[in-house]
Amino acid sequence: MKLKQWSLLAALTVTLPLAACGGDDGASSTSDAPATSEAPSTSDGGSVFVTGSSTVEPISIKVGELAGTAEGGNLKVTVEGPGTGDGFKKFCAGDGDITGASRAIKEEEATLCADAGIEYIELAVAIDGLTVATSPANTAIECLDKAALYALIGPESEGFSSWADANAIAGELGSAYATLPDAPLSIYGPGEESGTYDSFVEFAFKSISEDRGTDMVTRADYTASPNDNVIVDGIESADTSLGWVGYAYYKAEEARMKAIAIADKEGACVLPTDETIADGSYPFSRTLYIYVNKAKAVENPAIAAYVDLYLSAQGGEQVSAAGYVQLDSAKQQLSVDAWTARG
Amino acid sequence: MAIVTESQRSITRAEVHQTITRQSKHLPSLALGVTLLIAVSFTLLTLFALLARIVTQAIPALTEKGSGFLTDTIGSEASKVGIWPGLFGSFGIGLGVLIIAVPLGVGAAIYLEEYAKQNALTRFIVVNIRNLAGVPAVIYGVLGLIIFVGWLKPVTNGGTVIAAALTLAILVLPVVIITSMEAIRAVPLGLRDAGYGIGASRWEVTRDHVIPYAMPGILTGTVLALARALGEAAPLIMIGAITGLLPETSLSGKFTAIPMLIYSWSGRPDSGDSNVGWSNAAAAAGLVLLVLVLAFNIVGILLRNHFEAKRVGS
Repeated sequence: MKLKQWSLLAALTVTLPLAACGGDDGASSTSDAPATSEAPSTSDGGSVFVTGSSTVEPISIKVGELAGTAEGGNLKVTVEGPGTGDGFKKFCAGDGDITGASRAIKEEEATLCADAGIEYIELAVAIDGLTVATSPANTAIECLDKAALYALIGPESEGFSSWADANAIAGELGSAYATLPDAPLSIYGPGEESGTYDSFVEFAFKSISEDRGTDMVTRADYTASPNDNVIVDGIESADTSLGWVGYAYYKAEEARMKAIAIADKEGACVLPTDETIADGSYPFSRTLYIYVNKAKAVENPAIAAYVDLYLSAQGGEQVSAAGYVQLDSAKQQLSVDAWTARG
Repeated sequence: MAIVTESQRSITRAEVHQTITRQSKHLPSLALGVTLLIAVSFTLLTLFALLARIVTQAIPALTEKGSGFLTDTIGSEASKVGIWPGLFGSFGIGLGVLIIAVPLGVGAAIYLEEYAKQNALTRFIVVNIRNLAGVPAVIYGVLGLIIFVGWLKPVTNGGTVIAAALTLAILVLPVVIITSMEAIRAVPLGLRDAGYGIGASRWEVTRDHVIPYAMPGILTGTVLALARALGEAAPLIMIGAITGLLPETSLSGKFTAIPMLIYSWSGRPDSGDSNVGWSNAAAAAGLVLLVLVLAFNIVGILLRNHFEAKRVGS
């Protein structure tokens, strides 16, 4: 009681001077906490809190905007993107109605949720591809395979300053690209905290690291940045650069980077495009998920309304608008079925 | 002992005179002057370059949105985005820091300077407070996450403006205490003695003489502390400021702040098909933050002038 009075008073002192400056949209909101959403009536919207992967965040934001502005929709959707791992940590602690993930839930995270008694539904919502890129000025490199990437960026490549340094390991691994030119090698990519880092390591290194008994990590001596703009600047600036970013990011900055095709199991080079990613032929692509808290979805109709929108055709448009690739209709139907079967 | 003759003295005098008058031709001092000038102009140039860049980058976003940039909420498109939740959060944090850190900090400073015995324990405490002022902000973020977001959840309701204000208040507390202590220490001892001399109690002397006299210095410290609190992003990352979508602003709900928005927006891709990109939005947010800090500073400076005038007048 006391707290409520205090915060009401504080809210007034904060909002009064601001309201005078013309900021009146927020002035009406006082201390009523949206965090405890006890059965909101659908007429006044209701609140949804989405946490999780920063890769899924742009889609969740766009669907959230739609849910807040679309006809008859006045849901209040709050979205944050601390990362897939952090998202599961919060989600399994009961904080967050939905969490986005750029990979499927890990066993220990599932245990965490189970221990806390939190049941969830896993829904695939989109596909994301990683793009391995170099400078547009680099005409020597068109295509690479996993072995060559492992030789260039993997844990055994520490200290390599020329592309040619990687030829020995690439040859050892039976790569078709073991004749890399003697040119300066400058590598740019996201840091370890990023989901894009995890995905890259998994896509490119997993099988090789297991065979060779090395850690599934990149070399430590590359330019790591959580800021995608910094990575693109780096890739663009050095003529013989090498780096990787999310496909959505590559599409937005297509003119500044040259995508390197990735050799699939048969050795055919596949460039990342909307089509090759959607049909799964591009080797470096991944499915993006949302995980919905089952119990909360039952007691809060706003969550159900939001997920319905997420899985609708309009939701699919948001996936494209955010720069990702929509699921094909069969996979989309699987998600819809899983959602409607929630009971 | 050397005997100084008249002739020697006159030579010395002439030399001294010469040294004074030829000062501008003296090479080392000329070099020093130039070096210092370079230092000043380098600093100023960097500052102006930064300001010019922020302003030119911000103009597209501000002209596109107008005052809507201040009143609209955050979202997915750089050209439609507004800064209202950040403004609300930063203003709330600033006010919260003032309400929490200033009374606590000034109180602690008065105790340490006026009341505490000057012994080893007091010195130990003061040294530790000074060290705390140098602790990286992200450490305070961890502290805030554990204490204010975790343990005190019933009070703060998790990662809210209240939790952020408490965390940043703790962050700037050492700065407030140290500057207030310096200000109190600069109060002439005679002022206190005069007070005691006419039979005033320690509290009366502190209240009527020491605090008013030290007030300009205390306010300077407060302004510096507030500017730091408003500019911090690292602790807010730990506490969990929202940067995606935030339709509601309240003191006890999810929150965001301008530095967080700048950090988040500057990492988003600028697509080519719009003349307002995320870098423009981030620059505009930076400009708003600068103006906000400036506004708080101006209030602080006006208050300081008020107290200084009073000090001279009384």
